Amino acid sequence: MRFPFPRRLAVATLAAVLAVGAPIAALAHHGWSWTTGGNIELRGVIVAVALGNPHGRLDVDVGEGEADVWTVEVGQPWRNERAGLVEGDLAEGVEIRVVGEPAADPEERRLKAERLYLGDREYVLYPNRS
Amino acid sequence: MDALLAALAASDPATALRFSRWGYAAVNTGHVLGIALLVGAIAPLDLRLLGAWRSVPLDAVARVAIPVAAAGLALAITSGALLFATRAPEYAAMPVVWAKLALVATGATAALATHLRAGRALHHLSRRARLRQGALSLTCWLGALVAGRMIAFLAG
Repeated sequence: MRFPFPRRLAVATLAAVLAVGAPIAALAHHGWSWTTGGNIELRGVIVAVALGNPHGRLDVDVGEGEADVWTVEVGQPWRNERAGLVEGDLAEGVEIRVVGEPAADPEERRLKAERLYLGDREYVLYPNRS
Repeated sequence: MDALLAALAASDPATALRFSRWGYAAVNTGHVLGIALLVGAIAPLDLRLLGAWRSVPLDAVARVAIPVAAAGLALAITSGALLFATRAPEYAAMPVVWAKLALVATGATAALATHLRAGRALHHLSRRARLRQGALSLTCWLGALVAGRMIAFLAG
């Protein structure tokens, strides 16, 4: 018995999935594949907060004079809690220092935080990195 | 629309899920299970409609595949609605989310239309109708799976 049509269709479907998936993977914000692999440090003021699953996010204005807002990806609730952060720590107006990996495309102004500092206190989100 | 999405995200269940570690993990796992059941059941049926496994009666494949796929779809939609609610305004702003919903709607509509026409007696369908249903269904569900997985990789 031969099934040339479904086999051709299966190959075509697989090819389509790969064609769609491949370029998109380069834009990924999931995991660490989209970052540069090296840490940088940002210092600024939190201007917007969106915490919770699946990822927490802060907008941090690092500009001096002129606004320069970076998106800082922090952890899910359990990761932030494990680092020692409590409700209200990450709030608008709070001064923050963040160490983490920036997006490979610098135009994105996006950073995934490994650890952060509020005042002198260090909060480590990813203890096994760095 | 914006107010509605914000209200959805601010609702008690959405808020609880957004800050729950294991609750979110459970709903997420339920979503994966729903997709696994749906795609795992529908792919053999679609390939059978397209002409594979001719030695297996089409109606026998349909008898097993349709209820499993329907249960998977119900689970995926329920868990998916909850996951969407946790970040409703952000997900609604993503084109890939709408592409996924359009694929799900098309796949479900096609399945329902074929089911209303033939029930589980799919052998009554013309060859042309079988090929059309098989190809459209496979494209929609695989496409929805890819679009859905990409949401995590395109989220801003």
